Amino acid sequence: MFHISLKTVMVGTAVICLSATFVQESMAAAASCPSPIPFGLTTALTGNLALLGTQARNGVEFAVDEINAGGGIAGKTIALATEDTGASSTDALNAMNRILEGKPVVIFSSMISPHVFAQTEGVTKSETPFLVGATNAKVTAQGSKWLFRTHVHDGQLADLIPEYLVKSLGKTKPGIMAVADDYGLGASKGIQAALAKLNVTPVAVTSYAPSDKDMSAQLLEIKDKDADSLILFGRPADVTLVMKQMGDLGIKLTTIGNASMVAQTTLNNLSASEADGNYAIGGMIPQTSTDPHILNWAKRVQDKYRVPADNFTVSYYDTVYLLKSIIEKVGCDKPAIRDALAATKDWKGMLISYQADPQGDLAHTLGIYRNKGKTPELIGPIKESGF
Amino acid sequence: MGQLVVNGLALGSIYALVALGLLLIFNTVQIVNFAQGQLLMLGAFIGISGAVTHELPVAIAWIVTMAAMALIGIVFMVLVYFPLRGRPPFLVILTTIAMGIVLENLALIIWGPLPVSLPSPVRGAPLRFAGVVISMHQLFIFATLAAILLLQFLLLTKTRFGILMQATAQDLHTARLVGIPVNRTIAVAFAFGAMLSGVAGLLVAPIFLAEPTMGGSLGLKGFVVSVIGGFGNLPGAVLGGLFLGLIETFGARYISSNFRDAYAFIVMIAVLVAWPRGLFGEKSSEKV
Repeated sequence: MFHISLKTVMVGTAVICLSATFVQESMAAAASCPSPIPFGLTTALTGNLALLGTQARNGVEFAVDEINAGGGIAGKTIALATEDTGASSTDALNAMNRILEGKPVVIFSSMISPHVFAQTEGVTKSETPFLVGATNAKVTAQGSKWLFRTHVHDGQLADLIPEYLVKSLGKTKPGIMAVADDYGLGASKGIQAALAKLNVTPVAVTSYAPSDKDMSAQLLEIKDKDADSLILFGRPADVTLVMKQMGDLGIKLTTIGNASMVAQTTLNNLSASEADGNYAIGGMIPQTSTDPHILNWAKRVQDKYRVPADNFTVSYYDTVYLLKSIIEKVGCDKPAIRDALAATKDWKGMLISYQADPQGDLAHTLGIYRNKGKTPELIGPIKESGF
Repeated sequence: MGQLVVNGLALGSIYALVALGLLLIFNTVQIVNFAQGQLLMLGAFIGISGAVTHELPVAIAWIVTMAAMALIGIVFMVLVYFPLRGRPPFLVILTTIAMGIVLENLALIIWGPLPVSLPSPVRGAPLRFAGVVISMHQLFIFATLAAILLLQFLLLTKTRFGILMQATAQDLHTARLVGIPVNRTIAVAFAFGAMLSGVAGLLVAPIFLAEPTMGGSLGLKGFVVSVIGGFGNLPGAVLGGLFLGLIETFGARYISSNFRDAYAFIVMIAVLVAWPRGLFGEKSSEKV
């Protein structure tokens, strides 16, 4: 025989009533939503930025599929419309116009800043919450109150990388190498400015075109100028080539860069000796987590898309869940979603907590990593200055 | 300095290989195949599928790739060249550009966007002397280029097939009238041209990684090299390739790495202004 005390019954009843209240509130808020709830995404799925763009697609789509499989948002499924931007800003603008025709409740755009710059005016005029991972620091300085960024940006990295290199690793003669596009050259300028504040002058500042395959000339220049370290800023594919060519040329320098240094796509193509000892500061990656749920998530993403999840995948995945929690509270009224995004405080995502600043940046925690052989290890999270 | 020379020559050898494939087709049908770079990319990925995905011995993966590329070359000819034969050449050229885009996207669908590496068929510690490092793979690239140049030279000048190709290139209709199997000759040219791109892809993938968009830039450089060397000239293509590799490497080291790609086109324009037929181009006469 089971004996249920009056106290247990009362507590149980209270919990059920409380839960029902929350569900009702959520249902009431989501009642303002169309069914299905239209979300829009533009990202690069073809062209030379496809590897980056698919990370955004994978993060958003994976979260949407999970939410829909779990019953959607208060019973309403999400209908995700995706448009390919290719590698061109003009195509990005056209893709956004097609997305806007579907009158989505929210729009995600890629991490490619020139695309986001091209799209911002149109999205702002449509008064739709616009969530991006674009890394150029100026993306959120465009004055759009509809634009929010949920990934760390170059400005944060440009401050932290030189500081860590000089103060923690004790290196004072760095060479700089960056991919010659909006992403790399913007970071290179920021890094030079941050080094100047630390009274350090780089011995060489070099770059390479995104399509370049041979970076040996730049590496030899940095070596010939007697650098004691290398600051490397690029995409996983070209960072891999630089690391391989350093190994081929026998150049051994303490190397620090963005998250590409520890991305699984980079490490898969390097030997242990080529990868070992390299540092990275950037968005948090799932592979170094000790949480089995997160590791399992990373495995499921890899199995589904044949592309390892990276910092961008995590960021876009988190963004969808952040929106889910907001829509459950405020419904699908766009100004209300925007206001809730602007008021985000300590919303816990997969690896970091998100907090909105006045400009619309929500990510302020980065990871410092060091490769042990081909395995990245998290040295620790680091907060952006002022957070 | 020595290291820059070695690396410049290795890079130039890749450009030269792309140009040799380009020339083989040009010398037969007088068409510039702007999808040559994408054929290179296909060669790299087929090699990776064999050696990495299916874990075949690298040598077997190379043979499989060569056979596949020959077939792809013929399919390419059937889809791109035959339907537009006899039309203005620019139509065929535009179609090769379109086909390049199709191949790039096809590769993206089949292999995904991830960059992948292919093991080199040669192993061993790099050679080092006077501070200069030469990897075994770089030596293999030099040797392969020399062998292909020699074979292609012998094929075109010393074999019956080479003479048939030249006759086809000079006048397709007359060649057919005198009994030359024109279609078969063109098919072999496309098959060999694609195989040469496949070799270039197999040589590039161990050092530059393979990704769907890798062919665009390399194909364009192959075209630049052909123009610099003199379109249709085999030694010109090789010397043009080596020259461009050195220019790019030294330019990136001593002028600025920001304009590395621009050097190729600046040199091409300068050569065209000074020598309109390229450095080794032969004077040609046109039928009236």
